[in-house]
Amino acid sequence: MAPLLEVKHLETSFFTHVGEIEAVRDVSFTLEHGQVLGIVGESGSGKSVSALSIMGLIESPGKIKGGKVLFEGKEISSLNNGQMSEIRGNEISMIFQEPMTSLNPVYTIENQMVEVIRRHQKINSKDATKLAIDMLKLVGIPEPAKRIKSYPHEFSGGMRQRVMIATALSCGPKLLIADEPTTALDVTIQAQILELMNDLKNRVNTSIIIITHDLGVIAEVCDHIVVMYGGKIMEKGTEKDIFYDPLHPYTVGLQKSIPKIHKGERARLVPIKGSPPDLLHPPKGCPFAARCPHAMQICLERAPPTYRVSPTHTSACWLLDKNAPKTEGYRTGEAIDG
Amino acid sequence: MPPGPERFVRLEEQENTANAETTRPSLTYWQDAWRRLKNHKPAIAGLVGVVLIILFAVFGPLFVRESYSDQNLDFSNLPPTLAIFELAPDYYVFRTEDYKVLRIGGDGEILYRLPRTTQDPIKKLYTYSDGDQDIVLDFSYNLLPGKMDSPFDYSFVYQGNEITAPAKTVLNKNYPFGTDVVGRNLLVRVMYGARISLTVAFVASLVNLLIGVAYGSISGYEGGRIDIIMMRFVDLLNSIPLVLYVILIMVVFGNRGLNTMIIALGSVYWVTMARLVRGQILALKEQEFVLSARALGVPRSQIIFRHLVPNAMGPIIVSMTMMIPSAVFTESFISFIGLGVSAPMASWGTLANDALTGLLSYPYQLLFPSLAIAFTMLSFNMLGDGLRDALDPRLRKG
Amino acid sequence: MGRYFLKRFVYSLFTILLISSVTFLMMHSIPGGPFTRERAVPDEILKVLNAKYNLDDPLIVQFLNYMGGVLTFDLGPSFSKVGTSVNDLITSGFPSTATVGAWAVLSIILVGIPLGVISALKQGSSIDYSVMLLATFGVTVPSFVIATLIIYFFAGQLGWIPPFGLSTPQSYIGPVVALSGYSLSFVSRLTRSSMLEVLRQDYIRTARANGLSEFSVIMKHAVKNALIPVVTYLGPTIAAIMTGSFVVERIFAIPGIGRYFVESVSNRDYTTIMGVTILYAAFYVMMVLLVDIIYALVDPRIRFEKESKN
Repeated sequence: MAPLLEVKHLETSFFTHVGEIEAVRDVSFTLEHGQVLGIVGESGSGKSVSALSIMGLIESPGKIKGGKVLFEGKEISSLNNGQMSEIRGNEISMIFQEPMTSLNPVYTIENQMVEVIRRHQKINSKDATKLAIDMLKLVGIPEPAKRIKSYPHEFSGGMRQRVMIATALSCGPKLLIADEPTTALDVTIQAQILELMNDLKNRVNTSIIIITHDLGVIAEVCDHIVVMYGGKIMEKGTEKDIFYDPLHPYTVGLQKSIPKIHKGERARLVPIKGSPPDLLHPPKGCPFAARCPHAMQICLERAPPTYRVSPTHTSACWLLDKNAPKTEGYRTGEAIDG
Repeated sequence: MPPGPERFVRLEEQENTANAETTRPSLTYWQDAWRRLKNHKPAIAGLVGVVLIILFAVFGPLFVRESYSDQNLDFSNLPPTLAIFELAPDYYVFRTEDYKVLRIGGDGEILYRLPRTTQDPIKKLYTYSDGDQDIVLDFSYNLLPGKMDSPFDYSFVYQGNEITAPAKTVLNKNYPFGTDVVGRNLLVRVMYGARISLTVAFVASLVNLLIGVAYGSISGYEGGRIDIIMMRFVDLLNSIPLVLYVILIMVVFGNRGLNTMIIALGSVYWVTMARLVRGQILALKEQEFVLSARALGVPRSQIIFRHLVPNAMGPIIVSMTMMIPSAVFTESFISFIGLGVSAPMASWGTLANDALTGLLSYPYQLLFPSLAIAFTMLSFNMLGDGLRDALDPRLRKG
Repeated sequence: MGRYFLKRFVYSLFTILLISSVTFLMMHSIPGGPFTRERAVPDEILKVLNAKYNLDDPLIVQFLNYMGGVLTFDLGPSFSKVGTSVNDLITSGFPSTATVGAWAVLSIILVGIPLGVISALKQGSSIDYSVMLLATFGVTVPSFVIATLIIYFFAGQLGWIPPFGLSTPQSYIGPVVALSGYSLSFVSRLTRSSMLEVLRQDYIRTARANGLSEFSVIMKHAVKNALIPVVTYLGPTIAAIMTGSFVVERIFAIPGIGRYFVESVSNRDYTTIMGVTILYAAFYVMMVLLVDIIYALVDPRIRFEKESKN
């Protein structure tokens, strides 16, 4: 059986009046049925643009320049907007960072949910309303039959995100893409939403891609992780690979820069110095080279190939090359491209 | 080709980070705004337009001999371009719509009017004399039986030659914009009109600004009951068609001077400004620098006018820029229905109104004041749009 | 909800009464009476005239009489047209004013809004540029210039439409275009920028991400939100179009209320000036009220705010 989602050498650029911004550069990854994949990176790393590219939601002046997206073995990146809209919300759903503004303020929840359901399923509006109420119940909205008549502004942020999730799942999609689903929410609400997603992952048979800059979120729900930086994939692996055996200086830096609250452990927070590269004129070498503590001459000259260290774990860093000087915590891998 | 081992050399830290840091010079709010405005092409075009209009109004009249009220009935209703007839080599005449004949220089200079010596309205033959020579204007063509099929409308007979077609069209050298019904120079009229229209617009906007800023900032700063009462009054004014009140004020005052117009416009249109300033002050007064000023015992008026108003200056300037063209617009509207500045002074609206009666024969008389109004509106609007982009903090990027 | 509107309605009535009073006082503060002319009128005649129109009563009595008239929709006799009441003038002028005004409003809504929407959807295209060029022309050229240009070219040079009056269907074209030009341009610019703003909103992306058809995304989700600021602008505009018609009526010689108003201004026909001003103001206030109601119906957030306030 073909994997659920395959992204192959995806390249997306924004052609602005100041020039081409290469937001996503040669990104490839695979998602199997039932997996939860986390894409992590700071803002501007290209993670959201990758997700929007998969959804076919890149808007002018953005453009998918190269690569393809296969969904269950079928190429979806070549579909037109009309064909793609049959898939969106039906087989692949997406929720966004801003629950406060992601619902249309002038229509009731019922109106918006029923519209989506009836767009993809041939049922009458009464059944659609029933389904919508069931979905709201599933995501933990109290008194769903009454609340469904409300307008978005009558809900709190956390509740709105639950509505978003309910709508996204209402047509039983095979894949749910959640773009920073908890970032805009209070910490306690964040935890509730993550718990909800963890719970749903088991109850409805949906694969999930979670996009976040927060490693904590990733650790809680994901089994596979992609680390992105400067429009490229830096490291890819299982949750264990990334958290216990990071093989890219950027991943290491990310982990050092988040607070750890463990008993008796008092590690200093180490920020990553400098700022992300300007994707208007991306560096020709490794995008992280300028901030990398282990940077070498080659890092400025050539983009590193991807090195494989285990069947699940790859990293794009010259430190893994056989010619690289021995560095603590890094080992040689097998170059698989470039 | 895989890279050789020699490329795997560690970089010194400084060497690496030096090329990564981008520094930007820090700019003040106004420097930054100016930088953004400069990159906004329509805004710069608008700014140039505004400067041109002001120069035109201020310095234009200094370069012409005539004043706005000098009349010359001999040269009434002359268009800006003259189709002239060459009766003899280098002897040009122009016939006006009301059958005056003028001697014109080959370069378009108007020399003098030729007196009409005889007229025969039945046969449609007029005779004009220039010194000892007679010029006969025959405009019976197309009118009298037998000449109905003639391809031209009239002809000149001079020294036995019949001239039926104009030799050339020249620009009116004396009156580039033509003249009006009593022979006043329209260029000069439009220049003085610019003075009046712009004075009314600027002063009325200034009055609006002062009232609006004072009213809005007090209402916003005081808050509470005072704010509610003051804003109720603004709401009330806002629910009235203001142009009617300008008209009523003009009627009540009776005299049609510049001051009346300014009072009428200035007393009515400040409500928008007051609302805007109040909104700004409401947002600003919660900020720490106001709290600290209060804590230091700075008097209220000083907090409002030294601390709050300057911080709200961006939107105020934008609103002011938009207010000027709308004042020009309203003024011309009022003048157009006959309530404007009284003769012989004239604003652009008055000029447009004066042109209305002879519109079908002398459309240029409407053209120039209208162009002046449209040009002013366009310039101020483009400048205002650019200023809004440059000064609006919501659009500012780090 | 109902209470809110009732309150707003009473407030509007109060506004109209206040406007009527202010107008009355302004007109009576004019130095000299309505019968002051360049040529002095003999005292006896003046006395008779003043007595006839009750101008010899104390001001407060005149005021109460007039306000009583306003409340019963009786605006008194015209001072310059003997034997005619202001109500007669308004009744005879109303059909022309209302017809031209209604067509102008219709064209603003049916042309201005779609132009703005199309322009926003085709942002940066030649359609967008031409619409915006035309709209910029519309907001920078005063209505009297548009009107005279129409007369000059279409009536004078080409002879397609009659230069004045409302005798044929074609004769409506000129007044309607001149009257609606500014607001139509403004509305299309406003709709365009509002539409562009809305298209950037997260809920539009959500609608697309949920696979809704492009038609529904635009027509259902974007347009309704984009129209909120347009509706706010439209109310006073509709009133202003009806009331601002005097220039256009004057140029096209249309026997409407506006022309009587301009005439009354030059004839010092004070009762007509007062009457028409009050009529205009009342219409304006009612339009603002109507817009508030529509506004609350379109935007549930406003409704919510107002319900919780009351």
